[in-house]
Amino acid sequence: MELEKNMVVSEFLSKGSVLKQGAEARVYRDVFLGRSTIIKERFPKKYRHPLLDEKLTHRRTVQEVRSIQRCRRAGIHTPVVYFVDYTSHCIFLEDIVDSVTVRDHIAATRLRSLPCPTLEPLEPLAARVGRVLARMHDEDVVHGDLTTSNMLLRRSGDGEAELSLVLIDFGLSYISALPEDKGVDLYVLEKAFLSTHPNTEPLFQKLLESYAASSKKSSAVIKKLDEVRLRGRKRSMVG
Amino acid sequence: MHSSHPLELFPGRTVKLMLFKCVRNSAELRRSAMGGQITAALINPRMLVDPFQVIVAANKAVHLQTIGKMKTRSLNSEIIFNLSPTNNISEAFKRFGISDADDSVLVVLVATGDESQTLADIKEKVDGEQVPMEELPTLSDVTQIRKLYKVTPQEEKMGGLLDSVVCKMATKDVM
Repeated sequence: MELEKNMVVSEFLSKGSVLKQGAEARVYRDVFLGRSTIIKERFPKKYRHPLLDEKLTHRRTVQEVRSIQRCRRAGIHTPVVYFVDYTSHCIFLEDIVDSVTVRDHIAATRLRSLPCPTLEPLEPLAARVGRVLARMHDEDVVHGDLTTSNMLLRRSGDGEAELSLVLIDFGLSYISALPEDKGVDLYVLEKAFLSTHPNTEPLFQKLLESYAASSKKSSAVIKKLDEVRLRGRKRSMVG
Repeated sequence: MHSSHPLELFPGRTVKLMLFKCVRNSAELRRSAMGGQITAALINPRMLVDPFQVIVAANKAVHLQTIGKMKTRSLNSEIIFNLSPTNNISEAFKRFGISDADDSVLVVLVATGDESQTLADIKEKVDGEQVPMEELPTLSDVTQIRKLYKVTPQEEKMGGLLDSVVCKMATKDVM
Protein backbone atom coordinates (compact mmCIF):
# COMPACT_ATOMS: atom_id res chain seq x y z
CA MET A 1 0.00 0.00 0.00
CA GLU A 2 2.79 2.39 0.98
CA LEU A 3 4.80 1.68 -2.11
CA GLU A 4 1.77 2.40 -4.26
CA LYS A 5 1.41 5.81 -2.70
CA ASN A 6 5.05 6.70 -3.17
CA MET A 7 4.71 6.00 -6.86
CA VAL A 8 1.67 8.25 -7.13
CA VAL A 9 3.54 11.18 -5.61
CA SER A 10 6.71 10.54 -7.60
CA GLU A 11 4.66 10.39 -10.79
CA PHE A 12 3.18 13.76 -9.92
CA LEU A 13 6.61 15.17 -9.11
CA SER A 14 8.12 13.90 -12.35
CA LYS A 15 5.73 16.18 -14.23
CA GLY A 16 6.74 19.25 -12.25
CA SER A 17 9.95 21.16 -12.75
CA VAL A 18 12.87 20.59 -10.39
CA LEU A 19 13.88 23.94 -8.98
CA LYS A 20 16.95 22.75 -7.20
CA GLN A 21 18.52 19.82 -5.47
CA GLY A 22 20.44 19.97 -2.25
CA ALA A 23 22.11 17.29 -0.21
CA GLU A 24 18.98 16.89 1.84
CA ALA A 25 16.05 17.50 -0.44
CA ARG A 26 14.82 18.14 -3.96
CA VAL A 27 12.57 21.09 -4.58
CA TYR A 28 9.89 21.13 -7.28
CA ARG A 29 7.43 23.72 -8.47
CA ASP A 30 3.99 22.78 -9.77
CA VAL A 31 0.34 23.66 -9.61
CA PHE A 32 -1.40 21.91 -6.72
CA LEU A 33 -5.08 22.34 -5.84
CA GLY A 34 -5.14 25.35 -8.12
CA ARG A 35 -2.21 27.15 -6.51
CA SER A 36 1.40 27.52 -7.50
CA THR A 37 3.17 25.26 -5.03
CA ILE A 38 6.67 24.36 -3.97
CA ILE A 39 7.11 20.69 -3.15
CA LYS A 40 10.04 19.79 -0.97
CA GLU A 41 10.93 16.13 -1.19
CA ARG A 42 13.33 14.63 1.31
CA PHE A 43 14.45 11.67 -0.74
CA PRO A 44 15.87 8.48 0.83
CA LYS A 45 19.59 8.54 1.48
CA LYS A 46 20.98 5.24 0.36
CA TYR A 47 24.23 5.76 2.26
CA ARG A 48 22.38 5.66 5.55
CA HIS A 49 21.06 2.64 7.39
CA PRO A 50 17.43 2.45 6.19
CA LEU A 51 15.85 2.46 9.64
CA LEU A 52 17.95 5.42 10.72
CA ASP A 53 17.25 7.22 7.45
CA GLU A 54 13.50 6.86 7.92
CA LYS A 55 13.63 8.14 11.49
CA LEU A 56 15.89 11.09 10.65
CA THR A 57 13.98 12.10 7.55
CA HIS A 58 10.66 11.89 9.33
CA ARG A 59 11.97 13.92 12.26
CA ARG A 60 13.36 16.63 9.98
CA THR A 61 10.08 16.85 8.09
CA VAL A 62 8.12 17.19 11.32
CA GLN A 63 10.51 19.81 12.69
CA GLU A 64 10.23 21.86 9.53
CA VAL A 65 6.44 21.82 9.57
CA ARG A 66 6.26 22.59 13.28
CA SER A 67 8.70 25.50 13.00
CA ILE A 68 6.71 27.04 10.16
CA GLN A 69 3.42 26.86 12.05
CA ARG A 70 5.03 28.23 15.22
CA CYS A 71 6.36 31.21 13.31
CA ARG A 72 3.00 31.85 11.70
CA ARG A 73 1.15 31.96 14.97
CA ALA A 74 3.57 34.64 16.11
CA GLY A 75 2.76 36.65 13.02
CA ILE A 76 5.99 35.90 11.14
CA HIS A 77 5.47 35.59 7.39
CA THR A 78 6.28 32.13 6.08
CA PRO A 79 4.95 30.04 3.20
CA VAL A 80 1.65 28.31 3.95
CA VAL A 81 1.80 24.53 4.35
CA TYR A 82 -0.92 23.00 2.16
CA PHE A 83 -0.22 19.28 2.63
CA VAL A 84 2.37 16.95 4.10
CA ASP A 85 2.91 13.42 2.85
CA TYR A 86 4.69 11.61 5.66
CA THR A 87 5.19 8.48 3.57
CA SER A 88 7.32 10.12 0.90
CA HIS A 89 8.40 13.00 3.18
CA CYS A 90 7.08 15.67 0.86
CA ILE A 91 5.98 19.07 2.05
CA PHE A 92 3.64 20.98 -0.25
CA LEU A 93 4.05 24.69 0.45
CA GLU A 94 2.97 28.03 -0.90
CA ASP A 95 5.09 29.30 -3.75
CA ILE A 96 5.89 32.90 -2.85
CA VAL A 97 5.53 34.73 -6.13
CA ASP A 98 6.35 38.30 -6.95
CA SER A 99 9.16 38.58 -4.44
CA VAL A 100 12.86 39.28 -4.28
CA THR A 101 15.41 37.80 -1.92
CA VAL A 102 16.87 40.16 0.65
CA ARG A 103 20.21 39.16 -0.84
CA ASP A 104 19.30 40.49 -4.27
CA HIS A 105 17.63 43.54 -2.80
CA ILE A 106 20.74 44.49 -0.83
CA ALA A 107 22.96 43.92 -3.86
CA ALA A 108 20.69 45.96 -6.14
CA THR A 109 20.33 48.79 -3.63
CA ARG A 110 24.07 49.01 -3.18
CA LEU A 111 24.58 49.09 -6.91
CA ARG A 112 22.07 51.89 -7.28
CA SER A 113 23.74 53.93 -4.55
CA LEU A 114 26.92 54.15 -6.65
CA PRO A 115 28.95 56.31 -7.32
CA CYS A 116 28.58 57.34 -3.67
CA PRO A 117 28.17 54.05 -1.87
CA THR A 118 26.11 54.27 1.29
CA LEU A 119 24.47 51.66 3.49
CA GLU A 120 21.99 54.11 4.95
CA PRO A 121 19.00 53.21 2.77
CA LEU A 122 19.37 49.61 3.95
CA GLU A 123 19.27 50.43 7.63
CA PRO A 124 15.48 50.17 7.99
CA LEU A 125 15.58 46.73 6.39
CA ALA A 126 18.36 45.60 8.71
CA ALA A 127 16.33 46.80 11.67
CA ARG A 128 13.32 44.93 10.37
CA VAL A 129 15.21 41.69 9.98
CA GLY A 130 16.48 42.09 13.52
CA ARG A 131 12.91 42.53 14.78
CA VAL A 132 11.59 39.50 12.91
CA LEU A 133 14.41 37.27 14.10
CA ALA A 134 13.83 38.48 17.64
CA ARG A 135 10.19 37.43 17.40
CA MET A 136 11.19 34.08 15.94
CA HIS A 137 13.68 33.36 18.70
CA ASP A 138 11.18 34.51 21.32
CA GLU A 139 8.91 31.76 19.96
CA ASP A 140 11.86 29.40 20.53
CA VAL A 141 12.21 28.65 16.83
CA VAL A 142 15.76 28.27 15.63
CA HIS A 143 15.91 28.64 11.83
CA GLY A 144 19.17 26.78 11.33
CA ASP A 145 20.02 28.23 7.94
CA LEU A 146 19.73 31.98 8.18
CA THR A 147 21.02 33.65 5.06
CA THR A 148 19.81 36.62 3.05
CA SER A 149 18.74 34.19 0.33
CA ASN A 150 16.29 32.63 2.78
CA MET A 151 14.50 35.91 3.37
CA LEU A 152 12.10 37.29 0.81
CA LEU A 153 10.59 40.73 0.34
CA ARG A 154 7.08 40.47 -1.03
CA ARG A 155 4.53 43.07 -1.98
CA SER A 156 1.57 42.95 0.41
CA GLY A 157 -1.52 41.76 -1.40
CA ASP A 158 -3.69 44.74 -0.59
CA GLY A 159 -1.45 47.17 -2.43
CA GLU A 160 0.23 48.41 0.74
CA ALA A 161 3.43 50.27 0.06
CA GLU A 162 5.34 48.28 2.64
CA LEU A 163 6.88 45.00 1.59
CA SER A 164 6.52 42.06 3.90
CA LEU A 165 9.55 40.08 5.03
CA VAL A 166 9.02 36.35 4.49
CA LEU A 167 11.25 33.68 6.01
CA ILE A 168 11.68 30.53 3.93
CA ASP A 169 13.51 27.20 4.00
CA PHE A 170 12.94 25.87 7.49
CA GLY A 171 14.60 22.62 6.50
CA LEU A 172 17.15 22.77 9.29
CA SER A 173 14.99 24.41 11.88
CA TYR A 174 13.96 23.10 15.27
CA ILE A 175 12.36 24.22 18.50
CA SER A 176 14.82 25.29 21.22
CA ALA A 177 14.81 27.70 24.13
CA LEU A 178 18.59 27.58 24.57
CA PRO A 179 20.41 30.89 24.11
CA GLU A 180 23.33 28.88 22.72
CA ASP A 181 21.21 27.60 19.83
CA LYS A 182 19.85 31.06 19.09
CA GLY A 183 23.34 32.53 19.34
CA VAL A 184 24.57 30.02 16.79
CA ASP A 185 21.57 30.91 14.59
CA LEU A 186 22.71 34.54 14.57
CA TYR A 187 26.32 33.50 14.05
CA VAL A 188 25.35 31.55 10.95
CA LEU A 189 23.58 34.64 9.65
CA GLU A 190 26.53 36.86 10.46
CA LYS A 191 28.93 34.65 8.57
CA ALA A 192 26.57 34.35 5.60
CA PHE A 193 25.70 38.04 5.63
CA LEU A 194 29.26 39.35 5.77
CA SER A 195 30.54 36.97 3.12
CA THR A 196 27.66 37.60 0.72
CA HIS A 197 27.65 41.35 1.26
CA PRO A 198 31.23 42.52 1.78
CA ASN A 199 31.90 45.55 3.96
CA THR A 200 28.47 45.68 5.57
CA GLU A 201 29.58 45.30 9.19
CA PRO A 202 27.68 48.44 10.27
CA LEU A 203 24.52 47.09 8.68
CA PHE A 204 24.75 43.82 10.53
CA GLN A 205 25.44 45.75 13.69
CA LYS A 206 22.18 47.60 13.15
CA LEU A 207 20.45 44.24 12.74
CA LEU A 208 21.83 43.01 16.05
CA GLU A 209 20.91 46.23 17.82
CA SER A 210 17.36 45.93 16.55
CA TYR A 211 17.32 42.26 17.62
CA ALA A 212 18.55 43.14 21.09
CA ALA A 213 15.95 45.87 21.46
CA SER A 214 13.07 43.68 20.28
CA SER A 215 13.72 40.38 21.98
CA LYS A 216 12.86 39.82 25.61
CA LYS A 217 15.56 37.21 26.01
CA SER A 218 18.22 38.86 23.87
CA SER A 219 21.02 39.56 26.37
CA ALA A 220 21.68 35.88 26.98
CA VAL A 221 21.61 35.21 23.26
CA ILE A 222 24.00 38.04 22.36
CA LYS A 223 26.32 36.87 25.12
CA LYS A 224 26.36 33.41 23.57
CA LEU A 225 26.90 34.93 20.12
CA ASP A 226 30.05 36.64 21.42
CA GLU A 227 31.23 33.34 22.88
CA VAL A 228 30.53 31.47 19.65
CA ARG A 229 32.40 34.09 17.65
CA LEU A 230 35.46 33.43 19.77
CA ARG A 231 35.06 29.72 19.17
CA GLY A 232 34.69 29.86 15.39
CA ARG A 233 37.00 28.61 12.68
CA LYS A 234 40.52 30.04 12.44
CA ARG A 235 40.31 31.33 15.96
CA SER A 236 43.13 31.33 18.42
CA MET A 237 42.71 28.57 20.96
CA VAL A 238 44.25 30.77 23.63
CA GLY A 239 42.05 30.98 26.74
CA MET B 1 -24.51 22.90 -11.44
CA HIS B 2 -21.54 22.14 -9.25
CA SER B 3 -17.97 23.33 -8.99
CA SER B 4 -15.24 20.88 -9.90
CA HIS B 5 -11.71 20.67 -8.58
CA PRO B 6 -9.33 17.99 -9.82
CA LEU B 7 -6.89 16.41 -7.37
CA GLU B 8 -3.53 16.55 -9.12
CA LEU B 9 -2.04 13.84 -6.92
CA PHE B 10 -4.88 11.46 -7.73
CA PRO B 11 -5.52 11.54 -11.45
CA GLY B 12 -9.13 10.80 -12.19
CA ARG B 13 -10.40 11.96 -8.80
CA THR B 14 -12.23 15.27 -8.69
CA VAL B 15 -13.83 17.12 -5.83
CA LYS B 16 -17.34 18.26 -6.64
CA LEU B 17 -19.07 20.89 -4.53
CA MET B 18 -22.69 22.03 -4.35
CA LEU B 19 -23.86 24.83 -2.08
CA PHE B 20 -27.43 25.17 -0.83
CA LYS B 21 -29.20 27.96 1.09
CA CYS B 22 -32.63 28.10 2.72
CA VAL B 23 -32.45 24.41 3.50
CA ARG B 24 -35.50 23.15 5.35
CA ASN B 25 -34.69 19.46 5.80
CA SER B 26 -31.26 19.43 7.45
CA ALA B 27 -32.30 16.85 10.00
CA GLU B 28 -33.42 14.45 7.28
CA LEU B 29 -30.28 15.08 5.23
CA ARG B 30 -28.06 14.42 8.21
CA ARG B 31 -29.81 11.13 8.89
CA SER B 32 -29.49 10.14 5.22
CA ALA B 33 -25.78 10.92 5.23
CA MET B 34 -25.20 8.91 8.40
CA GLY B 35 -27.34 6.09 7.07
CA GLY B 36 -25.41 5.91 3.83
CA GLN B 37 -28.20 6.97 1.50
CA ILE B 38 -26.28 10.10 0.63
CA THR B 39 -22.70 9.24 -0.37
CA ALA B 40 -21.25 12.69 0.11
CA ALA B 41 -19.92 14.80 2.95
CA LEU B 42 -22.44 17.33 4.24
CA ILE B 43 -20.65 20.31 5.69
CA ASN B 44 -21.80 23.36 7.60
CA PRO B 45 -20.79 26.38 5.49
CA ARG B 46 -20.56 28.67 8.52
CA MET B 47 -17.16 27.21 9.36
CA LEU B 48 -15.79 27.64 5.86
CA VAL B 49 -13.79 30.58 4.59
CA ASP B 50 -13.38 29.43 1.02
CA PRO B 51 -13.80 26.27 -1.10
CA PHE B 52 -10.01 25.87 -1.03
CA GLN B 53 -10.31 24.90 2.63
CA VAL B 54 -12.54 21.98 1.63
CA ILE B 55 -10.32 20.92 -1.28
CA VAL B 56 -7.32 20.76 1.05
CA ALA B 57 -9.32 18.60 3.47
CA ALA B 58 -10.48 16.35 0.63
CA ASN B 59 -6.96 15.96 -0.75
CA LYS B 60 -5.65 14.82 2.61
CA ALA B 61 -8.61 12.46 3.03
CA VAL B 62 -7.99 10.79 -0.32
CA HIS B 63 -4.27 10.51 0.48
CA LEU B 64 -4.95 8.82 3.81
CA GLN B 65 -7.52 6.54 2.22
CA THR B 66 -4.97 5.53 -0.43
CA ILE B 67 -2.39 4.55 2.16
CA GLY B 68 -4.97 3.01 4.46
CA LYS B 69 -4.38 5.42 7.32
CA MET B 70 -7.69 7.25 7.71
CA LYS B 71 -8.64 8.17 11.24
CA THR B 72 -12.38 7.83 10.60
CA ARG B 73 -14.41 5.12 8.92
CA SER B 74 -15.19 6.61 5.53
CA LEU B 75 -13.75 9.04 3.04
CA ASN B 76 -16.61 11.47 3.61
CA SER B 77 -16.24 11.49 7.37
CA GLU B 78 -12.49 11.87 6.89
CA ILE B 79 -13.04 15.05 4.87
CA ILE B 80 -15.08 16.49 7.73
CA PHE B 81 -12.44 15.41 10.26
CA ASN B 82 -9.62 17.03 8.27
CA LEU B 83 -11.36 20.39 8.41
CA SER B 84 -11.05 20.41 12.18
CA PRO B 85 -8.00 21.96 13.87
CA THR B 86 -8.11 19.27 16.57
CA ASN B 87 -7.78 15.52 16.61
CA ASN B 88 -11.09 14.93 18.36
CA ILE B 89 -13.35 13.18 15.88
CA SER B 90 -16.72 13.76 17.53
CA GLU B 91 -15.93 17.44 18.01
CA ALA B 92 -15.10 17.68 14.31
CA PHE B 93 -18.44 16.18 13.32
CA LYS B 94 -20.26 18.48 15.73
CA ARG B 95 -18.58 21.64 14.45
CA PHE B 96 -18.20 20.93 10.75
CA GLY B 97 -20.95 18.46 9.96
CA ILE B 98 -24.46 19.77 9.57
CA SER B 99 -26.83 19.93 12.48
CA ASP B 100 -30.60 19.75 12.45
CA ALA B 101 -30.89 23.51 12.86
CA ASP B 102 -28.67 24.48 9.92
CA ASP B 103 -30.28 26.22 6.99
CA SER B 104 -27.35 25.97 4.61
CA VAL B 105 -25.37 22.97 3.46
CA LEU B 106 -22.26 22.33 1.40
CA VAL B 107 -22.29 18.98 -0.37
CA VAL B 108 -18.82 17.54 -1.05
CA LEU B 109 -18.27 14.52 -3.26
CA VAL B 110 -14.99 13.01 -4.39
CA ALA B 111 -15.80 11.70 -7.83
CA THR B 112 -13.94 9.14 -9.88
CA GLY B 113 -15.82 9.70 -13.09
CA ASP B 114 -18.91 11.51 -14.10
CA GLU B 115 -21.09 11.15 -11.03
CA SER B 116 -23.57 13.64 -12.47
CA GLN B 117 -26.36 11.21 -11.68
CA THR B 118 -25.28 10.94 -8.05
CA LEU B 119 -25.08 14.71 -7.80
CA ALA B 120 -28.51 15.10 -9.35
CA ASP B 121 -29.90 12.51 -6.91
CA ILE B 122 -28.43 14.37 -3.96
CA LYS B 123 -29.75 17.67 -5.23
CA GLU B 124 -33.22 16.15 -5.39
CA LYS B 125 -33.01 15.24 -1.74
CA VAL B 126 -32.12 18.76 -0.60
CA ASP B 127 -35.14 20.93 0.17
CA GLY B 128 -33.36 24.18 -0.46
CA GLU B 129 -32.03 26.56 -3.05
CA GLN B 130 -28.78 25.80 -4.83
CA VAL B 131 -26.52 28.84 -5.11
CA PRO B 132 -23.15 29.42 -6.82
CA MET B 133 -20.00 28.66 -4.80
CA GLU B 134 -19.10 32.36 -4.95
CA GLU B 135 -21.74 32.90 -2.28
CA LEU B 136 -19.85 30.78 0.25
CA PRO B 137 -18.09 33.73 1.94
CA THR B 138 -21.48 35.31 2.65
CA LEU B 139 -22.34 32.29 4.78
CA SER B 140 -19.10 32.24 6.76
CA ASP B 141 -19.16 33.02 10.46
CA VAL B 142 -15.76 34.66 10.64
CA THR B 143 -15.90 35.21 14.39
CA GLN B 144 -16.60 31.54 15.06
CA ILE B 145 -13.94 30.45 12.60
CA ARG B 146 -11.32 32.61 14.32
CA LYS B 147 -12.36 31.24 17.69
CA LEU B 148 -12.45 27.58 16.65
CA TYR B 149 -9.19 27.63 14.77
CA LYS B 150 -7.58 29.89 17.43
CA VAL B 151 -6.31 32.30 14.81
CA THR B 152 -4.29 35.03 16.51
CA PRO B 153 -4.74 38.62 15.29
CA GLN B 154 -1.10 38.79 14.21
CA GLU B 155 -1.47 35.53 12.31
CA GLU B 156 -4.52 36.78 10.45
CA LYS B 157 -2.93 40.14 9.72
CA MET B 158 0.12 38.39 8.28
CA GLY B 159 -1.46 35.83 6.02
CA GLY B 160 -5.21 36.26 6.01
CA LEU B 161 -7.84 34.01 7.54
CA LEU B 162 -7.93 31.35 4.81
CA ASP B 163 -4.19 30.68 4.81
CA SER B 164 -4.11 30.59 8.62
CA VAL B 165 -6.91 28.02 8.65
CA VAL B 166 -5.43 25.89 5.87
CA CYS B 167 -2.00 25.83 7.48
CA LYS B 168 -3.44 24.71 10.80
CA MET B 169 -5.40 21.96 9.07
CA ALA B 170 -2.30 20.78 7.25
CA THR B 171 -0.03 20.80 10.30
CA LYS B 172 -2.34 19.59 13.06
CA ASP B 173 -0.82 16.10 13.15
CA VAL B 174 2.48 17.41 14.46
CA MET B 175 1.54 20.39 16.59
